[in-house]
Amino acid sequence: MANTKYFSDDVSIHKKLRIGELLIHSLLLLSALLSVAITLGIVIILVEESILFFSEDGVTLLEFFTNRQWQPMIQEFGILPLLNATLTTSLIAVVTAVPIGIAVAVYLSEYATKKTRSILKPILEVLAGIPTVVYGYFAITFMTPLLRSIFGDDVVQIYNTASAGIVIGILILPLITSMAEDALNAVPNSLREAAFGLGATKMETSLRIVLPAAFSGLAAAFIVGLSRAVGETMIVALAAGAGPNFTLNPFEAAETITGYIVRISGGDIGYNTVDYNSIFALGLVLFIMTLILNMVSRKIVEKYREVYD
Amino acid sequence: MKKTALMVLIALAVSGLAFAGAAAEEPAAAKTTGFEWILDGEVNGLPEVNPLAVTGDIITAGSSTVFPLSERMAERFTDEGYAYNITIDSIGSGAGFERFTVAGETDISNASRPIKASEIEQAKTIGRNPIEFRVGTDALAVTVSKANTFAKDVTLEELAFIFSYAETWQEVRPEWPNQPILRFSPGTDSGTFDYFVEEVFDKDSRPILSAENLQLSEDDNILVQGIEGSPYAIGYFGYAYYQENMSTLNILEIEGVEASQANVDNSSYPLARPLFMYSDAEIMRNKPQVAAFLAYYLAYVNEEIIDVGYFPANPAALEGARESWRKAMAGTY
Repeated sequence: MANTKYFSDDVSIHKKLRIGELLIHSLLLLSALLSVAITLGIVIILVEESILFFSEDGVTLLEFFTNRQWQPMIQEFGILPLLNATLTTSLIAVVTAVPIGIAVAVYLSEYATKKTRSILKPILEVLAGIPTVVYGYFAITFMTPLLRSIFGDDVVQIYNTASAGIVIGILILPLITSMAEDALNAVPNSLREAAFGLGATKMETSLRIVLPAAFSGLAAAFIVGLSRAVGETMIVALAAGAGPNFTLNPFEAAETITGYIVRISGGDIGYNTVDYNSIFALGLVLFIMTLILNMVSRKIVEKYREVYD
Repeated sequence: MKKTALMVLIALAVSGLAFAGAAAEEPAAAKTTGFEWILDGEVNGLPEVNPLAVTGDIITAGSSTVFPLSERMAERFTDEGYAYNITIDSIGSGAGFERFTVAGETDISNASRPIKASEIEQAKTIGRNPIEFRVGTDALAVTVSKANTFAKDVTLEELAFIFSYAETWQEVRPEWPNQPILRFSPGTDSGTFDYFVEEVFDKDSRPILSAENLQLSEDDNILVQGIEGSPYAIGYFGYAYYQENMSTLNILEIEGVEASQANVDNSSYPLARPLFMYSDAEIMRNKPQVAAFLAYYLAYVNEEIIDVGYFPANPAALEGARESWRKAMAGTY
């Protein structure tokens, strides 16, 4: 009775103007609007400068997506070699990181005791805190020599996409692990108990019940990892190579989109030259790629989400 | 709530005071002429500089080839007492001129090629008249890995073929191995690239930029690392980077001529080129620290240049640079 009165009859509490509350409210709204405005600003600049690039003599959309050479200095504007290198490093990265990441997540969520979990998880999170430039040097000074000693110096070039890709995989491992683990933890315990009740072993429960139930979350982890790998810059700038090269051989040097942008914008470019405008067009392509990946991951989560309770 | 607001106000007031204080101090320092660093003596025809008395920061940018030399001179300047900041950005000659002539952010522009007419025009639009100071000579080094046992020398014609359409070493000379050529070149905005294209490709950058297996970088150390990495790699850069990495790299003779002081002096080495610094008389007069650094540089550069890995400019050119300095500063001290 007292409760009802408190909420419905005492209307004065709603009418009273609370300045502090209002202030906080508008501040929060402002910060939300600010982030939207910044995103819009970035998109506008990217589009504006890209239009400049495409209105340049000899640059056409068709050439941009079909020419196999990228050298703006000599009027070769084909994004394929850069795009190809970006996809190569990113695929190698997710192929490295996804199986390991999911295995670690299954172990942490299904098998590990509380104590091992409390030790393992923080160690894994340390990986996420290492600056990417350190990963870059790790790729050059450890991963590349390792690959060269396995496959031979003649096969593996000193700068190559395989080394960069594997190290990006290590970089995104904590991200994928923690997303996958969240997905596995979200599977209700009643499912596991039902499986045990039917006589399933722990492995059968994990692989046949829990993993499929968490599919949407795992797919989202895969896509988010991929989109992080596509945008990774420092590792590829240091280890993947500094010249556009259209090749499917991961042991050859090839420059990625981000690698090209960082090389060209590293203080050594004339404003309003075709090189300068080209990096905005490349930035726009990267932006669209990650946007699509994020949208796909949302769709997957919506479509394959298993709803319990 | 009120308390917080009050605290913010107080904080603002305090910072405002500090700011006003700093602003008030500045004119006091500016009362001096800025030329206290000039000593009575003369070194190589320039007033002797006392680095201890030089005040104010110096901003320079440009060629990665000139960079090691400027870095050495700046180190010596600082060791002898200069207590302010000198920035030397290693971003390539073209980018250096860009900063010097468009944004006007730098006091000195380092270059491994002469300034272009278009760049002088551009400088004039922001009220700068570039003055050229010749500081030394570089012999462009064409290098391969120590693991490369076959290549000892190349002709300019072979060099052009190696850096463009040749796919394997064998295509260049039948006795060389049938292995793909891995090419390493300074980036398109570096003076070294411009110079190479001019000398080897007759100013047409298309062949080299269309080459396969080409790695471009403004960072000469990335090139060095790449060339060391394979017996079939080849690259080129300023002589100083070769000298620094002699233990892992071999230098090739060009047209049978070795890169050496004698061959640079008698201009028989085909890839010898001048190294420059550019500034402007207005800047040197308004920022005496810039004039001081240039005077110091031109006076002592020959004591350091061989150790850094380049060759002294011919005496007439260096004397010309000193004369330009005296002209720019005439009547100011």
